[in-house]
Parts: sequence; C-alpha cells; structure tokens
Amino acid sequence: MTRLAVEVGGLSLKNPVLTASGCFGYGLEYDDFYDVAELGGICTKGLSLHPRAGNPPERICETPAGMLNAIGLANVGVEAFCRDKLPTLRERGVTVIANIFASSIADFVTITERLNRETGVAAVELNVSCPNVSEGGIEFGKDARMCGEVTRAVRSVTKLPVWVKMSPEAGNIVAVARACEEAGADAITAINTIRGMSIDVEQNKLRLANRTGGFSGPALRPIALRIVWEVAGAVSIPVIAIGGVSTTRDALEFLLAGATAVQVGTANFADPSAAKRVLDGLRAHCERGNVTVKSLIGSAR
Amino acid sequence: MSTRVLAKRRLVTLSLLRRESIGGLYHVLTFEDPDGGAAQPGQFTMVRGAEWGDAPLLPRPMSYLTTGHTPSILIKVIGEGTLRMGRAEPGEPFTLLGPLGEPWRAPTPGRRIVLVAGGVGVAPLVFLARAIAEAGGPKPIAIYGGRSARDLPLDDDLAELTELHTTTEDGSRGTRGRVTDILGDLLGPDREVFTCGPDRMMAKVAELCAARDVPCEVSLETPMACGYGVCLGCPVPTMDGAYLYACTQGPCVDARRVDWSRGDHAPKKGTHLPRSQT
Repeated sequence: MTRLAVEVGGLSLKNPVLTASGCFGYGLEYDDFYDVAELGGICTKGLSLHPRAGNPPERICETPAGMLNAIGLANVGVEAFCRDKLPTLRERGVTVIANIFASSIADFVTITERLNRETGVAAVELNVSCPNVSEGGIEFGKDARMCGEVTRAVRSVTKLPVWVKMSPEAGNIVAVARACEEAGADAITAINTIRGMSIDVEQNKLRLANRTGGFSGPALRPIALRIVWEVAGAVSIPVIAIGGVSTTRDALEFLLAGATAVQVGTANFADPSAAKRVLDGLRAHCERGNVTVKSLIGSAR
Repeated sequence: MSTRVLAKRRLVTLSLLRRESIGGLYHVLTFEDPDGGAAQPGQFTMVRGAEWGDAPLLPRPMSYLTTGHTPSILIKVIGEGTLRMGRAEPGEPFTLLGPLGEPWRAPTPGRRIVLVAGGVGVAPLVFLARAIAEAGGPKPIAIYGGRSARDLPLDDDLAELTELHTTTEDGSRGTRGRVTDILGDLLGPDREVFTCGPDRMMAKVAELCAARDVPCEVSLETPMACGYGVCLGCPVPTMDGAYLYACTQGPCVDARRVDWSRGDHAPKKGTHLPRSQT
C-alpha cells in the first residue's frame, strides 16, 4: 500500500485517488457498489452554514463529451452533515475532506469552527469557485486578494489542513494560487467547472434554468491539465487535480504533470465505481512498473 | 413509505439479446442477464453503450419493461443516445445500473385500477399490468394516447393485459383527442390511477383525479446524470415549496406531492419531448 501513499500538506493519504465534491454525494450512497474507505479520500458535497434547496430545474444537460450543471449547491447544511452523515463515515474509516461554501468570510469561518468540533474530518476544501450561485462563489475565486483573505481567515481558526479549490475563470490563476499559498493554504485543488451554456433549438429555449452551468467531463481535461501544470510549477504546496478524470490513464496524466492527487468527478455519474476502477488501475500500473506514486509526481516536467 | 425490500443496485455489463423495431421511432431492447435482476414495476435503469467512449457521456434513465434474466426497455429515438440504441445489434454490450428508484406503490385492494399512458411512458405501465395479471388481480382499465396510431408502441401488450381505450390527436386510432378527454368518464370513487407520460398530460391527469378524490400515482420523468442520488440534477417541485429528487424519492410518487404549476413541470407551449430519452 505504501507504494500508493502520498502526502498532501501534512495529511497522509493511503493513495492519491479522491472523489470530487458535488459528484459523490456524502459518500454514503455507495454501499451497494464498494467500500469508499478504500479511496484516498472523499470530498463532500459543498456544505453551507444552512441547508440549501438548490436551483430550479432544469439543472443539468449533456454536451459533447461533457455536461453542464447548475445545481446551486443544494446541500443539507453543515449541522445536518455533522449529525447525520459524518458519524457513519467516521465509523467506516473514510478519509473525509469537507468541502465548504459560503458567501462571506465570516460564514466560511463559522462553518470551519463547526467542523473543528468534530473528529473524522481530515481537511477542509474551500469552494471559492462555484459558478452557479449569485453570491460568493466564482466572484471570490477570480480575485487573488479575496481568495487570500478567505484562506487566511479559515487558516487562523483551524488546525485542519486547508485546501483551496480554484476557478479556471480567474484571469491569473497562478496569482490566485500563490495568494492562497501565502495565506497558509496546505494545498490547491484545480480546477472547478468553467461556465458554459446550451440552447434547445427546437424549443428555442435555454436548457438550464440558471442560464449558465458549470462545464465538466472528459472534454474539460486538456484545460484542467494545462492549469494544473501551470499551478504546480508556481507553488510549492501540493496540487490536487480535477477535470475529466475517468480512467487510470487520465489520473496518470495529471500525476505526471505535477499533481499529488486526483479527484474523480463526473465519471462517477455513469459508473458509481469509477474512482475504485481508477485506483485499481493505478495500483496495477505501479506494481507492473515497480514504481511508487510519489516517483511519478511531476515526472513529465 | 413502505417496508418493501428493494433489490440491491448493481452496475452490470450486459449483452444485447435482441432489438425489436416496433414501428416509428420505437424499439424494444432486450438484454441477457445471466444473474437475473429483480426490478419492480416502476423502477428504472441507467443504460449506456459500454463502447460509447466519451460521448454520449451519460447513461439514459429508462423504465424497466421486463426484469429477470431478460430485462428490457422501450426506447424512442430522439437524441444521440437513443439513436445509437435504436441501431444496436445483438451482442453489443451495454451497461445497466439498476434497479433504481421507488417502484409503483402496491395497488389498493378493492379499487379498480386505471392506467393512463402517454407514448413512450407506457413501459412502466405495461410492466405493472403484467405484474397484476401474474398475481391474478382484476384486469385494469387502461387509457393510452398519442399523436397518432404510430405513437402507441406496445398497444398490443396493453390490449391483452387491460380493458384498453385508445386516443389519438389525429383520430387515426380510437377516440380523437387526448387521454384526459375520456379519463373523466372512467373515474369514480372506487378507482385508483397510475400514470406515466408527458408532464402536461400527467399534470392534467393529476388535476382530474384530485378533483374527484381519486388516488393518483405518477411516474416522473426528468433528465438525470447519475440516477442514484448524487448529481442532484432531477429536482421536481413539491407542494411544500421544496423539491423531491425523481431518482431516489421517485420516479413513482403520489401525484398530490408534486407542484405541477412550478418549474419545469409547468404546462408550456411547444412540443413536449420526453427529455430523459434524449
């Protein structure tokens, strides 16, 4: 197993395969499929201070080799997560990264303080890049100074590792990542979705009620890879890659580019066992080549 | 809602046993499942060609028409995914994730069942009618409508299993008009309705039933990415101002829970497309 282990800013992960926030529920929906404790970790659905119902339908549509979503951060809220979801995850030994969302720095801090009181949270991942909410979200994520402030504020109230999830829409994503690093982030997650649109030409209407939605899936992968490459070359903290990973080969692409771990997102929809499949393939790859994951990280640079 | 035990969900790769073109844009795809499934009427499966690669990316939610060792689905060719399904040859591998969702509730003893079907929405109702027949239950009444005679796939199955009334908008089969034009005459205090079809049709069926205090169960149809409760892409507005998720809290629900006036289920101008089939 040590062949697969990686370190992400003080946090040891038994392997580098994680699942992406918003694409894996709360990790409790997979009992029929596999033991999610086998994964390096899971990133929860974005948690807000209070429960959110999300956007009206239609929320999703398919695009060539990808999809758009405008879920609007529908979630149970941090309190219900701690009460109803976390105890089971903890009991099962799942490595839980709590993805959190707020529209103000104060709320980011409050949510983090609530999570501080629990055991079983391995890290917090700050969603400063949601494209589908009117406040906070992507507007935070485009601004290096704001991202730095959010990171610093959360950093100052918790001992948990702090990951910050980047928007690909930041004009200068390297500057944003550096600002987060300077503010005390332990890792950078890149990338969140990028906003897209789709129109139903027969009905002459937008496919998404929110007009725009976050674009994800295999079609996004080259863009994500380019950004991961740039960020990994610019910061000294680990980069966790996300963007169209559905096979072991995809995961390797990001590791070779310099990512320390990868998150499997959209691929979970078509195949609930996608992350497990990526992990099994990675294990086989490392055994076959007699290499460690650590030795692969950034090896194409 | 009940203590029924639902079968464990599985993701399996199954070989297409046969594809029957049943006229127009409709096909029945039957798969070979060596282990055998145990879907209940009203449950659905997420279907995708195992060799589709990255596009179409997402599986398509499809009601089971039959279960067991030869599970089958009814498709209407509308978009890229169903186009490929409509051309598939025996032996072609497909992934099926299922059984998913809430099945039809058990019919209330003592009530005469009325099935109301629109177009491709007939599949879960044929499954239900067959289950009722196999259990030796009384023959349901069925009303089945479409734009024309070509839009009534599986009408033979319904004719065999139910006391069937058909409607077509162009009058090419049965009564000219819509299912809701004749439903009123078939509703009574001892009746119970199960319906699946276009949203506008189901909204009207629900309204007629509510007005006469007839229980009505609907099978909801929405786009879905996952089908098992994580993408949250299939919200349906409910009367309490919230949403229910069609994949895990449906697709079969009491029609009174749904707020038909809100969101995407509101009656709209233009042609309705059963979106989950696109």
